[in-house]
Amino acid sequence: MVSDLTSILVIVLIILAISLAFAIGANDETLSSLVGAGVIKFKVALLIGGVAVGAGMFSFSFAFVAKTVGADLLGEGLTYTSFMLLTVLISSIIWLVVGSFAGIPLSSTHSLIGSIVGVVIVYSFLQGGVNPETAFNWVKLGNVVLSWFISPVFGLIITFVLFKIIAKTYLSKLKGLNQIENSEKIFKWLLLITVIFAEIWVGANSGEALGILYGLLDNGSLNMGQYLFYAFLCGISSCIGIYIAARYVIRNLASQMIDSRPSEGLIIQLSTALILMVATLLSLPISHSHVIVFCIIGMGLAQKKEVDYKGLGKMGIYWVLTFPIAAAFAGFIYFGFNLFGLT
Amino acid sequence: MKEISEKELKKLSIDELTHLFVDNINEQNLKLIEGIEFLVEEDFDNFTQNLNYVIETNTEVRIKKAFESKIFKSKLMFSKADRLKLFNKINDIKNIGEFSANKMLLYRVVFPDEDFKLQILNILKSLKLISNQLTDAIKFIGSDLTKAHDICENIKEERRRMRKEEWQLLNRLYNYDMDYLSRTFLYLKELIEGVMMMADHIKSFSEYIQFLTTKYLIFD
Repeated sequence: MVSDLTSILVIVLIILAISLAFAIGANDETLSSLVGAGVIKFKVALLIGGVAVGAGMFSFSFAFVAKTVGADLLGEGLTYTSFMLLTVLISSIIWLVVGSFAGIPLSSTHSLIGSIVGVVIVYSFLQGGVNPETAFNWVKLGNVVLSWFISPVFGLIITFVLFKIIAKTYLSKLKGLNQIENSEKIFKWLLLITVIFAEIWVGANSGEALGILYGLLDNGSLNMGQYLFYAFLCGISSCIGIYIAARYVIRNLASQMIDSRPSEGLIIQLSTALILMVATLLSLPISHSHVIVFCIIGMGLAQKKEVDYKGLGKMGIYWVLTFPIAAAFAGFIYFGFNLFGLT
Repeated sequence: MKEISEKELKKLSIDELTHLFVDNINEQNLKLIEGIEFLVEEDFDNFTQNLNYVIETNTEVRIKKAFESKIFKSKLMFSKADRLKLFNKINDIKNIGEFSANKMLLYRVVFPDEDFKLQILNILKSLKLISNQLTDAIKFIGSDLTKAHDICENIKEERRRMRKEEWQLLNRLYNYDMDYLSRTFLYLKELIEGVMMMADHIKSFSEYIQFLTTKYLIFD
């Protein structure tokens, strides 16, 4: 009976993880600058972006961010139970849905890690023999949280510096609209390459879905072959997510970008991709949206444009609150499961 | 202006079509200004001929059509909307000119005195200057935005000077001792306002060019 329940639960978790991969693709707006610049046909852009995200997600699934989320955040000898993983998924999904309906921009990464922390704390209190102090790999957790603050700041700095260098050495030398337009034609092809590069790292750093699967691998519910198969399905799912569902967000954002310069889009995307790449190689799950927002701010500062500090402050509060609220929420749900003997 | 065939028009680039269009409109604008100068000299035949030329000329319509069909199909990226707006703003000069020309043909006015005539000729000279300068500025957008920006600064300065002249003229008009025919008064008032309406449009156009300069130029 227990074994049946566990098997069903594993199947549910796999389905949810694949669905989450679809949602990650559906919510990805990286292609907007490419579509806005009219570099390639819309459907081709969606296909290329989808394949890049899927490929990035699958290629880095054997370790890196997936391993951090699915195993390395936990203390020595501790693995997730299926109910812990289910709670993490339920909590982060509900918190994101509530955030979306309330119009609050939230990070799925922060929400996921917050949920993990909440669940593990409750687990360590309720289960005998687990010391809350050793329930976490504090160094890893510390690094992850630290990266959330460092990555946007670095994104801002890199964008600022990159723009200043390109402006000083090239863009400021362009005199007339024809010359500017011709140079931007070259930038638009570079933008295409950069966006593909960025999409790969967006996929590679999206630890939400693969982290759950890695948790199942780590607790023995899946073997490596099964894990890689489902990771591959997650990659395909995120690709389909972009192709089917992200088109609305992308088209909407792209229509606001028709007069934006490909060179600016290129610098922002390149900075974001570099940050995501470094974070992925360091196995740190970071928020893509936080990085891109700060890269845009960096671009604004470099061009001496006004920054909406009030709006930014408000966004900052939500970002900071996401982690503790998701933790409390997940802890509460897991406590509820425990009351029914589901651990 | 030399007639240009449909085939030749199709061969021209967006930039070349814009230049051709602005040359065409400027030529008509200069005809209008020259026509008013004939009016000041009481040479009514040439005055009527010039103003009718402005009203009847429609070569710019063909250029406009060629431009529109080209810009919608063009692969220009971010400057497409601005280039279209720029073109429409040039077209507005023609509309203002045509409107003024029609109005001026309604009556044959005789100017009150030599000083008034002199001052009208002065603002017409300024209008001619800023009309030519605007044409140059538009042509420089494609090749040198800084130069276009500087020309626009000169236009704004000249337009400020014209504004002073306008007040002096209106002041003079309102303070003549003799009783003018109401039609003469009204005509002269509207003539001054018509000239200034054109100057105002050229000024706002030059501000738009300066906006484009700040939008597209990147300073290190």
